[in-house]
Amino acid sequence: MDNIFIIYSLLILFLPLAAFVIQIFFGKKLPREGDWVSVGAISITLILAISMFVMMLLEYNPDFRHEASFTWLDMGAFSIDLGFLVDNITVIMLLVVALISTCTHIFSIKYLAGDIRYSRYFAYLGLFTFSMNGIVLANNLISMYMFWELVGVSSYLLIGHWFEKDSAADASKKAFLTNRVGDIGFFIGIMLLYTAVGSFTFTDIFNGVANGMIAGTALTFAGIGLFLGAMGKSSQFPLHIWLPDAMEGPTPVSALMHAATMVAAGVYLSVRIFPILTPDALLVVAYVGGFTALFAATIAVTQNDIKKVLAYSTVSQLGYMILAVGTGVYTAAFFHLLTHAMFKANLFYGSGSVIHSMHHALHEKHDHETDPQDMRNMGGFKDRMPITYWSMLLSTFAISGVPLFSGFLSKDAILAGSLSFAQHHPEHFLLPVFGFGAAAITAFYMFRMMFLTFHGKPEMPELIEDIHESPKEMAGPLVLLGTLSIFIWYTLPYLNPLSSHGWFTHLVVPIDSVVPGNPSANSIEEGAHHAHGLAMYISIGVATLGIGLSVLMYLKKVLSAETWRNRAGFMYDWSLNKYYFDENYDKYLYQPTLRLAKKIAWIDWELYDKYFINGFGRVTSWASRVTGKFDYNIIDQIMVDGFGRIVDNLGGTLKKVQTGRLQNYLLYVTAGIIILMIIQSF
Amino acid sequence: MTNLQSLSFYYPELILTVVILAAIIYDLTLDKSQSGKVGWLLVVGLIGVALAIVFQENKVTTLFSDAIVLDPFASFFKLIVILATIFVSIVSLQSGELKAYRKGEYFTLLGIITFGLFLMVSTVDLILVYLSIEIVSIMSFVLAGYLKQNTRSNEAGLKYVVYGAFSSGIMLFGLSYIYGLTGSTNYFEIQHALAGLDSEANTAIVMAMILMIAGFGYKISAVPFHFWTPDVYEGAPTTITAYLSVAPKAGAFALMIRFFNQVLADGGGMGGLDSSSIATLPWPEIFSLLAIITMTLGNLVAIQQNSIKRMLAYSSVAHAGYMLLAMPVMSGDSMYAIMMYLVMYLFMNLGAFFVVITVQNKTGGETFDDYKGLGWEMPMIGIVMTIFMVSLTGLPPTAGFIGKFYIFASLIKGGNEFYWLVMIGGINSVISLFYYLRVVKVMYFEGESHEKIVQPPTVMAALLLATAIPTVLLGVYWTPIADWVQRSLVFFIQTL
Amino acid sequence: MYRDFGTILVAAILGIIMVAVPLFLQSLVAPSKKTKEKLETYECGEVSEGSAWLQFNIRFYVIALIFLIFDVEVVFLFPWAVVFKDLGLLAMVEMSIFLVILIIGLAYVWIKSDLDWVKRKVKYAAGRYERIQIKENT
Repeated sequence: MDNIFIIYSLLILFLPLAAFVIQIFFGKKLPREGDWVSVGAISITLILAISMFVMMLLEYNPDFRHEASFTWLDMGAFSIDLGFLVDNITVIMLLVVALISTCTHIFSIKYLAGDIRYSRYFAYLGLFTFSMNGIVLANNLISMYMFWELVGVSSYLLIGHWFEKDSAADASKKAFLTNRVGDIGFFIGIMLLYTAVGSFTFTDIFNGVANGMIAGTALTFAGIGLFLGAMGKSSQFPLHIWLPDAMEGPTPVSALMHAATMVAAGVYLSVRIFPILTPDALLVVAYVGGFTALFAATIAVTQNDIKKVLAYSTVSQLGYMILAVGTGVYTAAFFHLLTHAMFKANLFYGSGSVIHSMHHALHEKHDHETDPQDMRNMGGFKDRMPITYWSMLLSTFAISGVPLFSGFLSKDAILAGSLSFAQHHPEHFLLPVFGFGAAAITAFYMFRMMFLTFHGKPEMPELIEDIHESPKEMAGPLVLLGTLSIFIWYTLPYLNPLSSHGWFTHLVVPIDSVVPGNPSANSIEEGAHHAHGLAMYISIGVATLGIGLSVLMYLKKVLSAETWRNRAGFMYDWSLNKYYFDENYDKYLYQPTLRLAKKIAWIDWELYDKYFINGFGRVTSWASRVTGKFDYNIIDQIMVDGFGRIVDNLGGTLKKVQTGRLQNYLLYVTAGIIILMIIQSF
Repeated sequence: MTNLQSLSFYYPELILTVVILAAIIYDLTLDKSQSGKVGWLLVVGLIGVALAIVFQENKVTTLFSDAIVLDPFASFFKLIVILATIFVSIVSLQSGELKAYRKGEYFTLLGIITFGLFLMVSTVDLILVYLSIEIVSIMSFVLAGYLKQNTRSNEAGLKYVVYGAFSSGIMLFGLSYIYGLTGSTNYFEIQHALAGLDSEANTAIVMAMILMIAGFGYKISAVPFHFWTPDVYEGAPTTITAYLSVAPKAGAFALMIRFFNQVLADGGGMGGLDSSSIATLPWPEIFSLLAIITMTLGNLVAIQQNSIKRMLAYSSVAHAGYMLLAMPVMSGDSMYAIMMYLVMYLFMNLGAFFVVITVQNKTGGETFDDYKGLGWEMPMIGIVMTIFMVSLTGLPPTAGFIGKFYIFASLIKGGNEFYWLVMIGGINSVISLFYYLRVVKVMYFEGESHEKIVQPPTVMAALLLATAIPTVLLGVYWTPIADWVQRSLVFFIQTL
Repeated sequence: MYRDFGTILVAAILGIIMVAVPLFLQSLVAPSKKTKEKLETYECGEVSEGSAWLQFNIRFYVIALIFLIFDVEVVFLFPWAVVFKDLGLLAMVEMSIFLVILIIGLAYVWIKSDLDWVKRKVKYAAGRYERIQIKENT
């Protein structure tokens, strides 16, 4: 069995790379610009991932684990091993990546039909899938870091797919640079661990930490360093600014990378390194996650761009997962990652479907002014796009935490974790407040989005005739992923809609932290179990509250959104403008940096150059004139050029030995032999 | 092992013989314009031989009554030779120089050289040493003069014949000394007999060895036995130049390593000459001296050349010097380093010659002037040539760096007395930068810019990539090669 | 060791003396009457004419080479023929392989028309010698 898993995962890793290579070199020349190559390759990986998943289920072993490594660099004492780790988490994650990636490929066939860089788009999707699988399969930090950067590159390429638009080009740069900030932390963390432990592999690092090779503040810093990388990729406050802008990329890309997989890489990393996080580091993680969850949710409430709402919702949900890691229930974080990947990808496909048809409708009317993504221009699409509507509705229920849907289970597990944490540490009561607050707001804004888009009267009645359901390539993934929002897939073989008890909880079992001072996995589990009942009631309560408010305000229009908006006053403005984060970063970070750079440049030019350098220069110039003569005549002419000339002349002289006359050659050979004989006799 | 039993272990060579005969017969049925097909026959046959070697039973033994050995070391070099022959065969089909000639004999002769090299890397008998060198040499003479209408090629062929005859004569003289001293032509018996001689005979042994080194030096073109190299390399068809710069060199190094390890060292092979039965002989000094003058002269004269082909000829002399650097240590590490270097050298040197062939096919020129502005006109050629030049200089992250790294590392491990060799090697690498980067400079900073971009033909492009990609890749990830070399460092050793 | 070489040296010196002394003696004793006829290269043959450094037909060389190869083949066959009864089938097979390889060589020179004095313009060799023939014609 060992080999099968490793071989399958190698295939899963390299098939997308092969597709990338073929597409980038020959894509334009192939029929249909080669989309079938990419779709074919990715479908095979999906089949392989499913069969791995099935084999994993057949084994049904929580300790299921296969590892293979090979030596990459061997310098005697110093060698770096790279390798693959296949365990339950890996297999599940591979399936998620393969599934969403396949859906995205299929969805993109129609969504991007006729695009000028069609083949290149598919090539980059292949590159992304390859690098994402690389992260998932890595058994060590260094190759994870490499693939991490590759993911960053492919994200940069795909966000900037329509780089003719300035906003897209800027967004891709912003995403890349913001991620770089986190990656520096990641790299420092890796190096801290490597210097202490002397290895990059997770197993060695865990053992090293357990043996106390690194502890205390150093370990906290290493953990926070690694977590910084996760913050960048998972778009956590205050590095969250890039993700909403990343929506400039094609919508299927947003679904694949900026909802389901790439941004989840940060969470995946946190889950992997959880055992070495110290209590202090965990607290930082918990607060960053919790705060992000609430904070992003409050922004999402006022956004009018359908994709921006989803983007902030993603940030908020990622905050949930990070919160779960911080409060110790990291398997819940991974569970939420899984469910979230399905329903959030679906929501993005749905929004893509809506935007696609809006775009066509506007195109029919030769209207190039109206924004096809603005929800204020929509409304009443329910009957025109039934498949999109119903599948999105399923996912909306899931994300809002309504029982019977997948999101309820995972969110409940997270909230129970944070509640239990607060019960043990009452001073951290804010964490569950963040969680439940965000849950209420999430339910509210998600239904707001649904109502504005699909219900009510059409805001632009002249368009409604041209709004059509999307073609089957786009509808297929919607139906599939919509179905996957239902709880049953995650709790089999049990059918209790209120408990996450099922194959997942059986197979993904938390392991103890190796850092002394952290509670054991069992005690955390126990605490979460006790808090479960209470958390469930509160969470159902807040979800009802949020949905109810939304219904009253946007469906029944009993409460006027206008009035509430005015009543909220400056808070509304803050939220609408994302708390002026971009502006403030610009004002207090970028502009001061630029001003500082200008000041330094001024000092450099006006003071340093003019007075110091020039003055010094004038003083030294006469001295240099004296030494210059010496330098030119002695050093340059005789020594430096001399060396060159000697080499040149020697070559020239030796060249003449090669006379072209055979008899001379033979003479030289004989002479050479005789000289050798004479030399050796001394 | 008796002759009949031996045959069952000798089937790669038997397959090769059949391929050669088939090539001769096949050629007779072809028109002149079709005669290139023989090349494909040879390529397919060689792939078959390579597979036979790879899947051969991993046995270490002697064949044909102690005349030939079968060991991983020989198999390693056989595979290197096959790889070079396959590359050269394919490129020969694309060469413009050979267009006007019948190619059947050409490929047949390549096949026979391959056979000769097989013999060379696996022999443990002086008679076969001489025979194998002659097989390789005589075929090379004909191939060097293959362009009958080209006077330079004729000149190259003739010079090569006379020079080769002279060198092998000297070598034969050395061999006769050894036979006279020991009464045997078999390595194992020679070693035994030499160990029994008293120190009086040292002078005679050293004389004999120097005469033999003259023969080996001629094959690897070590100074002062290199004089044929520039003239023959320049006159011969470029495809043959590429071949001569790689395959016979590898074969001669294998022969040399085996000879000195079995005959002069204690037979442990990895122990080095210090533990030799005749340790009083001045081996490290002689090899150090040869290595230094070889690389220094090669590099210095290469700077002066105007023809890229001739420059590469001197560069190959210099590279022989780098490889010879590892010989004085004569430890397991140093042989490992030489083998690593040969693998790296195979790709980068063949690649550089492939570039020369591509340019020659297009413009017919091979001087620096013909390369002006080439980087802009033929971007692919520019890029791969830059890679090869950087690699030949030995800069990271290319294969050449790794090769040099292992050579120098083996010297440093060898002890204090070899540090100065490392220094001289380093200085030589710097000198070589002059002329290698001159090619890059000429390609990118001279000549007018071209509007039109020219791509090399598909097969040539594939060959260039097939050499350029390993050149870069092996600079980054060479562990598989290192493993392979490590596995291949197993000699058949026998002490009587 | 060195004494052995010394013996060779003595033998070599003796050899030189034994040749040189009779030659020297006979030059003292023998009468010497040089006439023009006596100094001819071939005293009783054709009168030689012109330089001996002339180009002769390359075919002589080719024919000689081919003759040599097949001549040596026969040399190998004689000892084999003497003992092949004792060696049995194996010797038969070995010699057959040897002969087959040589026969392939024979076929090669035959088809390339290297056995004919005047070269046929065969199909397979077409083009290869065209240039030379054109030269001869002009």
